[in-house]
Amino acid sequence: MHTTRRTFLNLVFGGLILGSAYDIATDTEHWPFSQYPMFSGEWRSPTFTWLRLVGVTGDGRELALASNDYIRPFDLSRLPKALRQMLDQDDGRARVAIAVKDCLRRYEELRADRRHDGPPLAAMRLYEVEWRIDPQAANVDRPDRRRLITEVKQP
Amino acid sequence: MPAFVRRASGAAVARWNTFWFEPGPAMTLGICRMVFFGMLFLWQLPHDFAPWGEYASVFWMPIWLFQTLHLPVFAPSTLVWVQAVWKMALLLSAIGLFTRSAMFVAFTLGIYLLGLPHNFGQTQHFDTLVVFASGALALSRAGDAFSCDALIAAVRRGPASTPHDSDEYTWPIRFVWVAMALIFFAAGLSKWRHSGLAWIFSDSFALTLLRQQYHISDGDPLTSWGIVVAHHAWLAHTLAAAAIGIETLFPLTLFSRRARAVLVPCGLLFLIGIRLLMGPTFEQFMMCYVFWVPWARVIAFVRQHARGTRKTRAADMPAPAEPPRRTVLLG
Repeated sequence: MHTTRRTFLNLVFGGLILGSAYDIATDTEHWPFSQYPMFSGEWRSPTFTWLRLVGVTGDGRELALASNDYIRPFDLSRLPKALRQMLDQDDGRARVAIAVKDCLRRYEELRADRRHDGPPLAAMRLYEVEWRIDPQAANVDRPDRRRLITEVKQP
Repeated sequence: MPAFVRRASGAAVARWNTFWFEPGPAMTLGICRMVFFGMLFLWQLPHDFAPWGEYASVFWMPIWLFQTLHLPVFAPSTLVWVQAVWKMALLLSAIGLFTRSAMFVAFTLGIYLLGLPHNFGQTQHFDTLVVFASGALALSRAGDAFSCDALIAAVRRGPASTPHDSDEYTWPIRFVWVAMALIFFAAGLSKWRHSGLAWIFSDSFALTLLRQQYHISDGDPLTSWGIVVAHHAWLAHTLAAAAIGIETLFPLTLFSRRARAVLVPCGLLFLIGIRLLMGPTFEQFMMCYVFWVPWARVIAFVRQHARGTRKTRAADMPAPAEPPRRTVLLG
């Protein structure tokens, strides 16, 4: 191997190691480098809150959108976290209303493409829900508390 | 510089060079390339990145890479083309046709497409190793064996084109090893840093297993075993200790064959366990395990075994009966 190529490759190896070491040492994230913090915190609380989208049919029934199929390419981890970040901003409510409108449009697109078998929706609501963690997780569909954050209707 | 420092630094440089540039067979790297890009192509084929271009700007929360390079989210029609070219590059990289160009395109477009979803509110971590592996292969000569390019070269130039062992065939594999070790180690260290021993000995892991049942992950757990584990404190503590132990000790795989023999399969089982018990989808990360397989040795073993079986079969077969003699009447 030529010396120039070997030097270049050594720089690449150094970049991988130093980039990773920087994120690990500073506990920061610069994708594709990361400190990989998933599940690293100690969870003590017997309750937790989450943001959940709920569809509303024409006759007023509610359908919890608790499957990735309804919200692709988002998933049930990324979408609530994105919405939470929006809510934490000054104009959070307005931002979230725009975002939920987008989610409703996407739900109908996916339905039209037969990517899920959900019913047509007249509206979509965003709730903040709270669960007490059940030893059997039997209350998944019955949160202990919920608070309406926004509702958007079909145009 | 004192003599002992010179000696120590000289030894360190020699170990560094041996680790990265020890001559290795082209076949191992070629099979890694073929299997890795082949699996990535099949995994990504049904994934559609175009809808990301349809979302309102309120969703756009650019990560460091996209902010620094001023990378936008393209319109859906553009994303359709970008992903079509990327998937074609993945396929060409797998079969080894125009391999170097294909792998370069697979990496450059891949870093954009794989990075794109992380700009929408959450950075997930199952694809970082894929980016590093693609990057290493893009700079490598992984198309020298087990590729259409190699077949074409053999037809044109004859058997002389068969590549010899070279330092070019070792470093990309070691690069993936180092990247995987850093990832596991970082994840382990995060747990020590944020929770310490409480991550093992408190109820934290059991509560996390239960919480994961509430449809809050990018993928639901494939089984309800997490509930069972959460009900047995000793089992939850044991699994938590195993998880943090595997993650923290994983860098030993770079230095010790024995550690490799234990920790590499344990790391794979750990990822499978996460998918079964907790949900997060580490399938793409698991694809990078192909780089741990000593393919050249596996193939040599299979060939030897097959040859041995053929010989044994031949020895066991009864000798063919002589054909009956014909009496030829002359005259």
